[in-house]
Amino acid sequence: MPFDLHFIARLIPALIEGAEVTVELAILTFAICLVWGLIVALANSTRGPLSWFAGAYVQIVRNTPLLIQMYIVYFGFSMAGFGLSGFASGLLALCIQNGGYVAEIYRGGLQAVSTRQYEAGRALGMRRWTLYTVVIIPQVVARIVPPMTNQAISITKDTSQVAAIAVMDMMKVAQVWVESSANTYDVFLGVAIIYLVLTSVASVAGKLFERRLAFAQ
Amino acid sequence: MLEVADVSKRFGTLEVLRGVSLSVAPGEVVVVIGPSGSGKTTLLRCINLLEDYERGTVTVDGDPIGYRLDRRAGQRVRMSEREIAAARENVGMVFQSFNLFPHMNALQNVMAAPVRVKGIPRARAEARARELLTMVGLSDKVAEYPVRLSGGQQQRVAIARALAMDPKIMLFDEVTSALDPELVGEVLAAMQQLARAGMTMVVVTHEMSFARDIADRIVFMDDGLVVEQGKPDQLLFSPATDRVRAFLKRYNDRYRI
Repeated sequence: MPFDLHFIARLIPALIEGAEVTVELAILTFAICLVWGLIVALANSTRGPLSWFAGAYVQIVRNTPLLIQMYIVYFGFSMAGFGLSGFASGLLALCIQNGGYVAEIYRGGLQAVSTRQYEAGRALGMRRWTLYTVVIIPQVVARIVPPMTNQAISITKDTSQVAAIAVMDMMKVAQVWVESSANTYDVFLGVAIIYLVLTSVASVAGKLFERRLAFAQ
Repeated sequence: MLEVADVSKRFGTLEVLRGVSLSVAPGEVVVVIGPSGSGKTTLLRCINLLEDYERGTVTVDGDPIGYRLDRRAGQRVRMSEREIAAARENVGMVFQSFNLFPHMNALQNVMAAPVRVKGIPRARAEARARELLTMVGLSDKVAEYPVRLSGGQQQRVAIARALAMDPKIMLFDEVTSALDPELVGEVLAAMQQLARAGMTMVVVTHEMSFARDIADRIVFMDDGLVVEQGKPDQLLFSPATDRVRAFLKRYNDRYRI
């Protein structure tokens, strides 16, 4: 029976509790990927075997499903004798895959800055650190804000896959409620609305950040 | 002031510079002309080591920039990044494509290097930057970002930016070639003013009448070599070599100076 108000009143607090795990996973994943992705991108920009490994990493993690990566981490580690919790496995898998995407965003941002900008800085006597902090990185940051916002939204939705390895995130809570009540419609509509709210926060934050950095318009 | 000694540079199998030597006296304005691909731009880029080169040395006021001679080994040694950066502070460069920093307004573009490279206090650097922007006729554009400026205005900001480091010598690499014809004059006027103020300058250009007006000496390059050099009127109106005569004839047929 859809739109059962008594049911919804009991459902919402439970979903919100699950949403706390979702938010925690999303924020941790995004924060870790911002650092990890930069390391991968810089490794990729070197010449030699390091860039070969970074390139292979990006190709493999981007081109295989997240769910399978999650199973490999969760079951693989426990078979190897040191099992990680569902939450830790989920977080690790999310970071492994999204780190690849984020690395590509950084790489695109770095490539978009013309070599002439490096030359202009060097001609003014700038050494590497000054050149990067004053000239290059601010331009890279301004260019990558829109795709990073996109990635943050994508990560938020990707966290729902941890439900498959028994983490009590919002999606898993929803599945439990559906099984016990058979009220599919209310539960999943509620879940969708909460995801929409969360991702909207990310979009708005991204837009504000973008506007602050909009020098090129 | 500037001594370029026997500089040779190749891109793969192509020899772009084949032993170029050039000395520029303090306050002198040397204009380098020659056909495309003659090595003019590469020579400028070698002077402040935006290009590495295989042979030769460059010094500014006796101080090496890029490579120093190790007397005991009798060999050329590449200087460290720190030494090269310090040496580049003495050499201002203005590029064909302006290359302003797009995330900074005109004032910030001019102030950035004095503050971040030389450690000059912000207030003093800003006062100096405003002075320089006024000198190039842009006192009303200090807060504008490069995208909002015309090519001529951007290039004048670029000149102010290079001057803000108080260089001993300024290099100009075809600085009007990317400009609409009606914007060329304002940039040339700024350079003219600088030359009159006594700045030592090496100018690569295709503007022959400007070369004649501004140059103390014109250097003609072809095929990676200095073919001929001399006073502007002498080189432009009674050149000693057939190569220069042929170049000028082709130029005159097209533009009539």
